[in-house]
Amino acid sequence: MDPAILDAARQVLLDPVVWTAVIGAAIYGVFVGAVPGLTATMAMALLVPVTYWLPPLPALAAVVTMVACAIFSGDIPTILLRIPGTPASAAYADIGNGLSARGKGDQALVTSLVFSVAGGLFGAVVLILLGSQLAQVGTLFSPAEHFWLYVLGLTCAVVVSKDAPLKGAMAVLLGLLVSTVGLSAVHARSRFTLGNPELYQGIGFIPAMIGLFGVSEVLKNLLTLEASGHGSVPLEGSSRIRVLRALPGSVGRLFRRPISSLRSGSIGALIGMLPGAGADIASWVSLGVSSRSRQDPDQPDDEGALDRLGDATTANSSALAGAWIPALIFGIPGDSVTAIVIGVLMMKDLRPGPEIFEKQPIIVYGLYLIFILANLVLLPIGLLAIKAGGLVLRAPRRILMPVILLFCVLGAYAINGSTFDVGVMLASGLIGFSLERRGVPLGPVVLGIILGGPLEERLIQVLTSADGSAIAFIDRWPARILALIWLALLFATLLQRRTALVRPSQESSEGVDTPGD
Amino acid sequence: MPTMIRSSLHRCAPLTLLMLLALSLHVGCSGEERFPDRPIMLICPWSAGGGTDTVSRKVAAMLEQELGVPVNVVNATGGSGVTGHTRGALAPPDGHTLTMITVELNMLHWRGLTNIGPDDFRPVMLLNQDAAALFVPADSPWHTISDLREAVAEAPRLLKASGTAQGGIWHVSVAGWLDSEGLRADDILWIPINGAGPSLDALMSGGVDLVCCSLPEAASLMDAGRVRCLGVMAEDRIADFPDVPTFREQGSDWSMGGWRGLALPLGVPEDRAELLVTAIDRVIQSDEYLDFMQRTGFNVSPARPGEFWEIMAQFDRQMGAILTGEAFQSVRRTRYGPMIFPGVILALLGVSLAILLFRGGLRRAPDAPRLDRAGVSRMALVLLFVVGYMALASQVGYVLTASTLLLGMLLLLGVRWPVAFATAAVLVPSTYQVFAVGLRVPLPWGWLGW
Repeated sequence: MDPAILDAARQVLLDPVVWTAVIGAAIYGVFVGAVPGLTATMAMALLVPVTYWLPPLPALAAVVTMVACAIFSGDIPTILLRIPGTPASAAYADIGNGLSARGKGDQALVTSLVFSVAGGLFGAVVLILLGSQLAQVGTLFSPAEHFWLYVLGLTCAVVVSKDAPLKGAMAVLLGLLVSTVGLSAVHARSRFTLGNPELYQGIGFIPAMIGLFGVSEVLKNLLTLEASGHGSVPLEGSSRIRVLRALPGSVGRLFRRPISSLRSGSIGALIGMLPGAGADIASWVSLGVSSRSRQDPDQPDDEGALDRLGDATTANSSALAGAWIPALIFGIPGDSVTAIVIGVLMMKDLRPGPEIFEKQPIIVYGLYLIFILANLVLLPIGLLAIKAGGLVLRAPRRILMPVILLFCVLGAYAINGSTFDVGVMLASGLIGFSLERRGVPLGPVVLGIILGGPLEERLIQVLTSADGSAIAFIDRWPARILALIWLALLFATLLQRRTALVRPSQESSEGVDTPGD
Repeated sequence: MPTMIRSSLHRCAPLTLLMLLALSLHVGCSGEERFPDRPIMLICPWSAGGGTDTVSRKVAAMLEQELGVPVNVVNATGGSGVTGHTRGALAPPDGHTLTMITVELNMLHWRGLTNIGPDDFRPVMLLNQDAAALFVPADSPWHTISDLREAVAEAPRLLKASGTAQGGIWHVSVAGWLDSEGLRADDILWIPINGAGPSLDALMSGGVDLVCCSLPEAASLMDAGRVRCLGVMAEDRIADFPDVPTFREQGSDWSMGGWRGLALPLGVPEDRAELLVTAIDRVIQSDEYLDFMQRTGFNVSPARPGEFWEIMAQFDRQMGAILTGEAFQSVRRTRYGPMIFPGVILALLGVSLAILLFRGGLRRAPDAPRLDRAGVSRMALVLLFVVGYMALASQVGYVLTASTLLLGMLLLLGVRWPVAFATAAVLVPSTYQVFAVGLRVPLPWGWLGW
């Protein structure tokens, strides 16, 4: 064994500074992730001054742990209140909160925790074993491949919209349209801004997301406040959160479905390492692939919902380690968090690149260990966070709703320090409320806003470089593969809908004979 | 100032308890006119993690020790820098808002994107200048810029380059070089890719043939032997990259690059501005700062206000000549205009809406609750809360606005008053502590200085 590994292990595991950094960052990450509007990027930027005076390994430990914990704890408000703490949780807001409303909030949260830990560990293993090989795959991605990847992500958001793909498509298109407001990134021309300088920056997806989910949820709850028992009763599904009782079931679920967990983990790691694609696309794609389980609107399929939730959380956690692959090997950040990390590393005189493996093996091995350590620490900290989050549900709704509203305002303001964003949040809240009454899913709107800019950018880039020839989109073999995957996904969905339309009549007759099914 | 506080205290008599609490905390730190007496906001027009953000945060952390008040970095991003620069120029000129201005300030107004220009700022200190450099993949046939020039002259509009969006600083650098060589500015096709990282990615995947960006941004790839630098558009070689030749050495007269510096809005009292200049001067002279800049690869080139102003004016003339010149106008006319994408989306949205309406799919979902009068009036509270916050917070301050609104909403929803009062009294100050003090979110300041 390489002596550097032992050295790294000693420096990571026996150093109290590393442990302090890990625990501190875990608590910080859980808090930041749980409050919508405080993003991992912002938390990371705030952490940078602290890392100035930490040695390299504790600094890296703080960063890795903070992000891993933040991406999980984004699920806590998502499941309990249907307000995504981070954009990566928006994909399964309906699934998770549906479980919570049926009194299975504890199972949903613990499943999300266990699968996040598993996804994080899987991503770390991929980074350790296949990092340099996968980085070569990343260099195959030209604008055409990125274009297909974004189309794939958006299509997944449509596919997972249960029973109403057309409404899902409408939601995605609405999001894409909203994303075109402001200065177009490719042309540097202003669009739909009406001369208002505040609109030049466009509609931020964080304030929009807080509005669409948070404010509309507050509106919905206030509407039904009196009807459900004078508002002094807590939210539905507020049976006590029993964390430890749910744990064995969730771990069992993980081992019962090894193939789909591996699949979700791989999807996450692959998507995470591509620049411009991160945890948010990863959870949608993973959900799109796992949405095979047929849904019956009259009888909610809780087991299936938990499986799908698990798949999506595995993918978004595994995407985090993926983002480090191009950062470590080429010094090109996979997302905004790793962009900051590269800055931190360079400050410590560590220049990422192939040489870091030869010149600083202790840092590299130490980083690997930290990835594993961070995800192991997440398990107990996450359980405590779930326990604490469960207390929120005990508060009566008429107290909880104004408080949530205050946090929405704070979150929308915090992202950019701008009152305009608070207005965007309010408008999105009203739009989200009326869309939801018409059964239009809200998650795809958020994904549309996030991906609109990059999608247009790639579209124009391909068109410009090919001088308008549409062949350029399937000119290269990686692009063809992605296009084929996209077509396969479309056909599979159409076929599935066909069979789903035929089957219920048969099922209902069979259902009488086998009530246990 | 204390008289003002007292008079406002009388006006808001009902909230005496909260006010007394606030006042008791406030009195300790008020007194004679002092500057700075509250946190300073440093506006960074670019996103967290980029080069400008890195420099901003380092300067902010060190300035904080110099001035004794928190210096919070706010990333006001978007609009190719329009958002941040506009906000910085229009900020109240009390010295509590600094802006990290960048070379785009010299470009945006020439491109007609904003009216804000260098004349809307009072320069404080130039921090660094990064020259543009041209990169090709390691296996490319060109080794010098004259190789490249010949290739372009032989087959114009065949090579593709990137580094930033259409009309960004690196695009202007390449277009200006071509122009200075007697070629047309669009003889190299510019593929607009946002940011140096994604552009370098495209360079390695073969999506583009050339990338123009600053040297530190491509340093890792140069070390890895994946890309080669043809030359840097600087007067002299860069200290950290002694092997990279300049354009000048290779027979071109062209130099171009970006700069970053700190500035105040116009109208800040001169004594406050001078105090900030002195403090920032001490920061950038320190070993810690110089060491940091050297490690991160930023080229240190400080200039005091007068000289900084000269440099900006010179850049402005140069940019004006390039951006309004005929050569660049042809580049700006892209064939795939800004309305193609929204047009396609609108058409698709229209089709799906039409189908949904035709099928009646947009009716109220069966499980959605009915809108009744009491419910709607409760929902209107949300509207009042948010609009009230937007209207009052910047004047009255976060703590007062939020506690009043929260208390009001709780009471109107029928929460018993001791509970409502306790909720507001505990929650608002603690969120203030966490967000404004702990997380450095610049929550609005008001009458109380809170």
